[in-house]
Amino acid sequence: MGAIMRALRALLLLAGFNLLGVLLLAGLAFLDCLLFLYAPPGVAVALCSVSVLPAIPVAAGLFAFRARRGEEAPGLTVTEADEPTLWQTVREVAQQVGTRAPSHVVLTPGVDASVAQGARLLPGPRRLSLGVPLLQGLTAAQLRSVLAHKLGRRSTSGSRALHDRALILRAVAHCEEHTGWTAPREQARLEQRFYKGAATGAASSGRRVRHAGVTRRAVSWVRTAYAKLFLRATFAVARAHEVRADVTAARIAGRDATASVLREVPVLEAAFEYYTCHYAALGLDAGLLPPRGEVFGGFGEMLSARQLELAGLRREIPTGPLTPYDAQPPLADRVRHIEALPPDGRTDEGRGAALSLLADPGSTLTALEDAVLTEDVRRFRRAGDWPGLLNDSMAAGLEGVDTPLHRALAMYTKAPPTLSALLGLIDDGRVWKLARRLPLSDQAAASTGRAFREFVRPALTESLHGMVLAELSAGERLHWEFSWERTPTARLRPGQSSPWSDTPLADLLGPAMTAALADHPDTGPLRALLMPTPTDPANRETDRP
Amino acid sequence: MTVLLWILAILAVPTLLFCGWLGWVFLKEFFSASGDDNAAAEAAEKLGLLPAERQNTKYAGPLPAGWEEALARAGGDWQAAAELLRDIGQDWDRRSKAVGLLGDLAAEDDTWLLAWENARPDDPDAAVVRANSSVSVAWQIRGTKRAQYTTQEQFTGFHRVLRRAREEIARAAELNPDDPTPFVTELAVAFGLGYPHSEMDRLWAEVTARAPYHYEGHWRALQYWCKKWRGSEELATEFAERAAAKAPSGSLLTVLPLLAHFEHDDSDSSNGDRTPEMVARVDAGLVDAAAADPTHPRLPELRHFLAYYLALQDRDEAAIEQFRLVDGHVGAVPWSYRGSDDAVARYYCRIRDLAALAVTSTD
Repeated sequence: MGAIMRALRALLLLAGFNLLGVLLLAGLAFLDCLLFLYAPPGVAVALCSVSVLPAIPVAAGLFAFRARRGEEAPGLTVTEADEPTLWQTVREVAQQVGTRAPSHVVLTPGVDASVAQGARLLPGPRRLSLGVPLLQGLTAAQLRSVLAHKLGRRSTSGSRALHDRALILRAVAHCEEHTGWTAPREQARLEQRFYKGAATGAASSGRRVRHAGVTRRAVSWVRTAYAKLFLRATFAVARAHEVRADVTAARIAGRDATASVLREVPVLEAAFEYYTCHYAALGLDAGLLPPRGEVFGGFGEMLSARQLELAGLRREIPTGPLTPYDAQPPLADRVRHIEALPPDGRTDEGRGAALSLLADPGSTLTALEDAVLTEDVRRFRRAGDWPGLLNDSMAAGLEGVDTPLHRALAMYTKAPPTLSALLGLIDDGRVWKLARRLPLSDQAAASTGRAFREFVRPALTESLHGMVLAELSAGERLHWEFSWERTPTARLRPGQSSPWSDTPLADLLGPAMTAALADHPDTGPLRALLMPTPTDPANRETDRP
Repeated sequence: MTVLLWILAILAVPTLLFCGWLGWVFLKEFFSASGDDNAAAEAAEKLGLLPAERQNTKYAGPLPAGWEEALARAGGDWQAAAELLRDIGQDWDRRSKAVGLLGDLAAEDDTWLLAWENARPDDPDAAVVRANSSVSVAWQIRGTKRAQYTTQEQFTGFHRVLRRAREEIARAAELNPDDPTPFVTELAVAFGLGYPHSEMDRLWAEVTARAPYHYEGHWRALQYWCKKWRGSEELATEFAERAAAKAPSGSLLTVLPLLAHFEHDDSDSSNGDRTPEMVARVDAGLVDAAAADPTHPRLPELRHFLAYYLALQDRDEAAIEQFRLVDGHVGAVPWSYRGSDDAVARYYCRIRDLAALAVTSTD
């Protein structure tokens, strides 16, 4: 009885979700009919044409949620002939879960796996999307656990309603994003430029909604409110389903692998985001790409170089649900639940890297690049190696560096802003007058004397740092040391032909900049850094023709 | 058409009546209020008290003889500052007040202080003024508003300068190991950076070992124990009561229970200020003030507090007596929490004038 009632309620809610727009349209039509029956024809025609205005967004809204179903993340489709071991694994897991194996396997560039089904009434082709970073970061057993969880969510009855739930959940998130309630993130913008289809929602419909009028927003708001009601009503069922999928995964892939993969995925997500930003897309602004096969290949190297750091991250599990309507229990609860299951003695199963399931990881990663990088990015020049990519990107970035201090300096001196002009101003004691031209907060602008200097010092230091790096980079006296473990270290070449200094540049530059921007400034140390030390006369001939 | 006019006319009658009533209420309120204020101000004038625009909002009372001149000269000539501190010697209450004033001066422009430091690199007096001025700069950056109205930029700058000030404080303490002033300065760092209680207790031991009844030290420590900084109402009250009970008469520490009450009083009524407990605290303050050295640099600060609470307790004669003793200077708590100089002087005069009115009308 309980189950039937629950199902009925879900059905009603789901129907209502689509009926809502129809009812609104019917109501408008009914009003129009009344007008034609009882009002003078002139007035009726005028009012009817007005009533069309709210009808358009309502009608458009009816299709808004539906339209998002067809979107598919771009990726590299692999056939059974391409990747026999991977396919075999997927089939095995599907069999153990007791569900149909997918008919397509698509490798994607995100830390995500999902099973999608293009079906209305009859079961259609089933498509497994598998993020390559997962293969790089997980063991074989952990990957089986992920597959079992994803396929397990598909297997049980009632998954149709839950499938709709997922769609609606995504649509709500989408709506909130585009009615301006949540700001788009910098990271999303970067990924969008880099990977095909990444954050396409933001690109395509963002534009649409920005021009949306008040009515469109209102309709969107009503539908979102209804969707939230629906999500809340189906919450309990969906959560039970999630928990079952976890238990299924533990049964198939082993308890320990399942518990550890729950901890691992958020870490991989963070790591991959970091990797994209600081390694793969490092040369985005300079129009440079890592060597062929390395765009994704580097992620594996970064993971192994940063094992210690990642181990620390794994210990902290994010608490709290991700969104208020997400049926996944808080991660900490899921991990606790799995770890509370009786031990199954399968700790040592499948400890090899999941990447070895691929027939030829190297060529697959290369093929993936062609499949998922955007058209523009694929035309970029390939760097010879990672250190080359780093140095060329940094040099290109510093070439056109434009800090608030540049603009303030140009405004103050009415001349092209140069570092030597700035150092001259510092020596004259006029730098604090110049600082008044920087963008200042109200509090900073209102302050005077020493307090003012303290207010502007951080901004001044940051801009000066940029200017000094640009100057050194232009003189080819800057070298960036590439590392998979750390952020790059800059090193200075004291003279044109001398070797790179042993001390990192930051250690030399910090005290010099502090002295230059002190209340009673001394630009001496900074000038000494900037000035190439004279080399012996024999070399000088060749250095400076 | 006529029907429309009739309807309008009928509607107009109550509207007009309502407007008339509003106007009458406004006029009545306007004249009666100003009448009251005027009468009170006149009463104060009759008692020889100064109007708001003639009140000095910078200090709580007149500075000791010669200080004003020394401060005026110090901006151009560090010798004046050095001389001032040398003459004060080991009178720690005076010293901390003078260091505070010099620190404020150097917070705006420290050219003279740099000249002093250049001339005498290891002068402990210059070092303590340096430390104090940095703390003062930090507070200028933070502003005096509550945390929610203070920006991230302000907090970052505040914390950065305070952390740097700690080094300067340590240096000043090293140069003059007997002097409690650097540690008193550090108390402001303690609540600014949020020292843990254990660290605060260590610092407090340093202060009391050198000056057991230091006025400014106790004042700042009480700020630390207040709810708005790192303590609670209970901790603040306990600290205040204990310190006041232990201190000898004339040390002015009877101000602490009054301050603890004031800092945690957010009610609009003055009922809480009239409890027997508060009356007893004010009485203790009166005894303390009478026993104090009349030239004690902090005596006016206690008197301002006494005048305020005596007025709120309707002990108008006694209130006016205290007001007379401090009139002319209003740069003290409780008035100074009102913000702008103008508001401070007006608030002081309002409370004072009401007491004056009560006194003159009973005469």
